[in-house]
Amino acid sequence: MTVAIQKKICMLGGFSVGKTSLVKRYVASIFSESYLTTVGVKIDKKTVTLGERVVHLILWDLAGEDDMSSLRMSYLRGSAGYVLVADGTRPATLETALSLRRRVEADCGPLPFALLLNKNDLREQWAIPDGELEELRRSGCWVRSSSARTGEGVEDAFTDLAARVAP
Amino acid sequence: MSSSAAGRFEWLLRPPPPESGIDREALAGLLVGLARTVEPKSSMQPAGVSAVDPRLEQLRSLLVGHEIEVLGRLREVIEDPERFGVAVGRVLATAVASSDARLGQVLAPALEKATESSIRNDPRKLIDILHPVIVPAIRKSVGETIDNTFQSLNESLRQSLTWRGLRWRFEAWRTGKPFAEVVLNHTLVYQVEHVFLIHSHTGLLISHVAAEDAASQDPQLVSSMLTAIQDFVRDSFKGAEQQGVDTLRLGDLRLWCEVGPFAMLVAVIRGNPPEELRESLRNVLSRIHDERRQALESFDGDSSGLADVAARLTDCTALRQQGARASKRGFPWLVFLVAFLLVGIVGGMGLWRWEILQEQARISAEIAQEQARIRAAEAERRAAEERRWSDYVDRLRAEPGIVVTEAAERDGKFVVAGLRDPLASDPAAILRESGVDPARVVSRWQPYQALDPVFVLQRLEASLEPPPGVRLSIAGDRIVAEGSATPIWLSRARTAARMLAAGGPALDLSQVQNLAEGIVGKLRDAIQAHEIPFNTNESLPAAGQDAVLDQLASEIRELTSLASSLHMRARIRLTGHSDDTGPGTYNLSLSIARAGAVLALLKKRGVAADLITIGGAGQLDPLNADSSDSARSLNRRVSVAVRLEDES
Repeated sequence: MTVAIQKKICMLGGFSVGKTSLVKRYVASIFSESYLTTVGVKIDKKTVTLGERVVHLILWDLAGEDDMSSLRMSYLRGSAGYVLVADGTRPATLETALSLRRRVEADCGPLPFALLLNKNDLREQWAIPDGELEELRRSGCWVRSSSARTGEGVEDAFTDLAARVAP
Repeated sequence: MSSSAAGRFEWLLRPPPPESGIDREALAGLLVGLARTVEPKSSMQPAGVSAVDPRLEQLRSLLVGHEIEVLGRLREVIEDPERFGVAVGRVLATAVASSDARLGQVLAPALEKATESSIRNDPRKLIDILHPVIVPAIRKSVGETIDNTFQSLNESLRQSLTWRGLRWRFEAWRTGKPFAEVVLNHTLVYQVEHVFLIHSHTGLLISHVAAEDAASQDPQLVSSMLTAIQDFVRDSFKGAEQQGVDTLRLGDLRLWCEVGPFAMLVAVIRGNPPEELRESLRNVLSRIHDERRQALESFDGDSSGLADVAARLTDCTALRQQGARASKRGFPWLVFLVAFLLVGIVGGMGLWRWEILQEQARISAEIAQEQARIRAAEAERRAAEERRWSDYVDRLRAEPGIVVTEAAERDGKFVVAGLRDPLASDPAAILRESGVDPARVVSRWQPYQALDPVFVLQRLEASLEPPPGVRLSIAGDRIVAEGSATPIWLSRARTAARMLAAGGPALDLSQVQNLAEGIVGKLRDAIQAHEIPFNTNESLPAAGQDAVLDQLASEIRELTSLASSLHMRARIRLTGHSDDTGPGTYNLSLSIARAGAVLALLKKRGVAADLITIGGAGQLDPLNADSSDSARSLNRRVSVAVRLEDES
């Protein structure tokens, strides 16, 4: 008998990093994107199977704003982990993602997270040096480059995160 | 407390009394027993027990020396209230946490007493503490009660006029229950379709139960979204931080949320649930909390350990108004009938009212028309009166002998003043003819004589009394007299003509013929020319006078007739004369007799005697004063005089 567990995961990232489109094709969703602009959050579900276990990642896609103050911190409550999304062609969004991480850790303590550098299909516009990624990895970050278009990195990120939040 | 605890443990810590307290004999026996266990062959016997045996103390320190030391330290702690307090404080929380229900029972009276005394000392403090908790709870409870009341009222109203409603009324009367209760028992049709138990902290679904044939989206997503919405509302609206959404409503679908310390119960209800259902949900949630508190608190997304709560939730989905859902809602025939009647009555009244309004409007319009007509008529009347007044004044102005010096309308009265010739038309008569209300007219007239020919004529006619042969008329600016008149009248007329006011019309008498002239004059002259001679001392005419007398008589008759035709009267006077012989008185009588004789002779010849007068002149009026015979013969005579008078 498979055991199903649920975990709350928040999706965080700066404005227009492709956070929503990243999950769009890979998740079960019943709510429209207008929830993001109205309620400020949209709930999706990503189911990951880990051997005998099924983990339902309940994804809280928080309205991405560069302005930290507009983030509703109450939505972070009870998260088992989070996904940080940045735009690989815009280094500023990586900064935003890292500051979001600091913000989350200040409120919720250290939680498992995955950092996705999105839009890696636009290699020619890629603006984040590999060295920086290496440094992040060395500091313990789970970092992948991803593409909402090709799906690269997305499944990995969720599977890995599921394994970490539901050990 | 520490001192009493110290007292309780004292017996442990007391040093054993050096001599008393230890059954030395028993101890010695025990030691011998032990020795025998070691060496069974030993035949050792306890050889008396001395009161003081230092070896026993040695033995004791060997056996429990360490414990005595520990107890000593413990004793120090217990005997020092400060240190003992610190020690107990260190373990108290753990002790309370691991205690069983008895602790609550033991503590309850003390806590009650403490609370009671605190409230007695300062109730304000407790009010301040409870205020944030109690006020929202009271508010919510009152709100729910009011909701419930309204709902009951709505239902009662909706149902009270159906046949079913009447039946329920009968049932209420029969069972003695309030009607509202009976209605609620029968009418609240609802079905709890879904029940979600959601972990408050993570928003993850703990359990979900759906009624048969109830469909919904992925309950895991729904529960997270519900949590997000609760958070959203809490964050968005001030004052809602401690609360949350307890009702969401969409058509006949309601979401009722009951929030507990660790989990939130959300029921999706279709229909019209009674407020009591909320109480049931609350009870279910609180029972789940009571039973599975620990599991709820430590929930981490794995709901397998909480599978049994589904049974509780199933209890919720069983909550429904049995049977009512299947049966159709009673068509409110009575309502329909009453509504129909009401509509009829209201419509009829409306129609009636409408007709009345129409009638009123028509009457108003007629009144307005009538008023307008009256106003117009009044204006017309006024205009007509003013016109009549103006005509009257114009007519007065045109009237000869009337001079209007003032004509005005003052204080609703017409005022006219001026001069009026007494011979002029009567203004009052003209006023009567004009149609102006005499009561509205004030007239002031001063008399004067007008020089209009008409009046002058009238005045002349009044004063001159023209004989029938004379006619006065106006010709231009003169008054002309025509016809024939006696010289006497003519003389009066001339006097009057001279008296006429200067500048006025003059009296023209040139057209009046003098009757003393012409044929009448000739006849007169002829008559007067006759002398009837007499002989001396004779009173009858001399012989041969018959022809003269005949002619005279004829002429007198002719004159009389002519004069009569000319509206005159011819008066004849016969005067007798005598000569101067004889006495005068005799002569006078003789002369009168001679005149009388001629009168008689004329009468005889058909002359009317009433126009003839007689007189005697005696010897005083001789034709010839000589004393010759011929002269005397000439003087003996009767003369005739004619006087023409106007007929009167």
